Amino acid sequence: MIRGLWNRETVALLLLAAYLPLALFWLRHGGTEALARLGLAVLVVAIWHLVFMLARAQAPSLSALITALAIAMLAPEGLGVFRMTLGISFGVVMGELVFGGWGRNVVNPATVSLSFLGFGFPAFAWPGFDDPVAWAAIPAALIGMATGIMPAALLAGAAVVGAAASLAGLLPEPVLLAAGVALVLLLADPVTSATTALGRWLNGALYGALVVLFSAGWTGAAPVQVAVAAALLASLAAPLLDDAALALWIAARKRRHGRT
Amino acid sequence: MARTTDPWRTLTDPLIRQNPVTLQILGICSALAVTTTLATAVTMSVALTVVLTLAAGLVSAIRRHIPDTIRLIVQIVIVASLVIVIDQVLQAYFAEISRALSVYVGLITTNCLVLGRTEAYARHHAPLPAMIDAFGNGLGYSLVLVFVGAVREFFGKGELFGATVLPLVDEGGWFTPLSLMLLAPSAFFLLGLLVWALRSVLPEQSEAPEHTPPLRTEPAE
Repeated sequence: MIRGLWNRETVALLLLAAYLPLALFWLRHGGTEALARLGLAVLVVAIWHLVFMLARAQAPSLSALITALAIAMLAPEGLGVFRMTLGISFGVVMGELVFGGWGRNVVNPATVSLSFLGFGFPAFAWPGFDDPVAWAAIPAALIGMATGIMPAALLAGAAVVGAAASLAGLLPEPVLLAAGVALVLLLADPVTSATTALGRWLNGALYGALVVLFSAGWTGAAPVQVAVAAALLASLAAPLLDDAALALWIAARKRRHGRT
Repeated sequence: MARTTDPWRTLTDPLIRQNPVTLQILGICSALAVTTTLATAVTMSVALTVVLTLAAGLVSAIRRHIPDTIRLIVQIVIVASLVIVIDQVLQAYFAEISRALSVYVGLITTNCLVLGRTEAYARHHAPLPAMIDAFGNGLGYSLVLVFVGAVREFFGKGELFGATVLPLVDEGGWFTPLSLMLLAPSAFFLLGLLVWALRSVLPEQSEAPEHTPPLRTEPAE
């Protein structure tokens, strides 16, 4: 590792590179409509980054593009410009920028936006994903893991639970596809996921378990809605899981050495 | 806590500068629960202001006779009796709103704002200043409640006091209500935004930071 190479923007750039296959396939299948959604999301997020740069001297980040991509791909359809702008503004400001910008946020701003839009406007339909778009999440995850940007243990934990549930026949295919896309876009974010190895496994497994639970017990929920709700709860639980992992580690060391 | 004797200051301080909800974060559970419509918010504000003022007057009148060890019990007994009276009045004359407020009128008894003012102020001051202070605090609480209630009803239903302001899409208008505004979290968001706005305008309200950030080090080349 070269000193000084790894800063916040390097991480954002590599994350962006990892999302490229997903974004390209989605744009190819979505056409101009998808492009318009992405353009609106990028514009709104960029404006808020600019406002906080001028008002609070917070450096804008390329993560704005990542947030915009996640929102554009997963937000309910047919919301119109005003409602989209409101939801994106809420998520980006309250989820990320008031905490001091990307890297200091507790939950992914895209998750906050999507939950806000989902709960605020329940009448609008959530998007579905064509098979090729959802499969493109796999190369995205591979690039992320190879560059060390996305936590491999988290993806593995979610994959283990997801595979077990699919084999048991608990996970219908649309839910599996949506959950995969949301896993890569929302949960496998280096800032808001767990940071200890055990915490990451648990975080991924918790996400998988929540998706299985919601898809079985939440009647009338769309696949993407299930995935977004599971991602929100799983990322809120990440600090708790980290804390549990640290407490376990300290207890094990105490048992071995007799002191802390 | 401002220890001024000027009654005008005692009355107006809790409106903005020492607002019990936005500065001291007291009594917010009812502020979150009853603010879905403006009518319930106003009723709750009036009920709390009346209870708070009378309780402060009563506690202050017998302040030299309350044994210190059981003072909380005495205060709660006084507050609870007043709350029961108010609750009965509401049930008798405003049955509709009383049903909408459900248990929250009864819960004024345990509202930390009421107990906080009687405990912190009325116990040490003569009845008149105590009642002025309590009335001011009640008004400060009402101000926040009415603001949050107005915003929630306006954007959640397009109405104010039940009268249509923005015609809804369902009824041939153009406004799609934000149903999130009628759920409890939106009151949290609104209250948070209000506190943020207030502390940006009046920076002396914000707390001192609990942690000092480490010195920024330049990346080693």
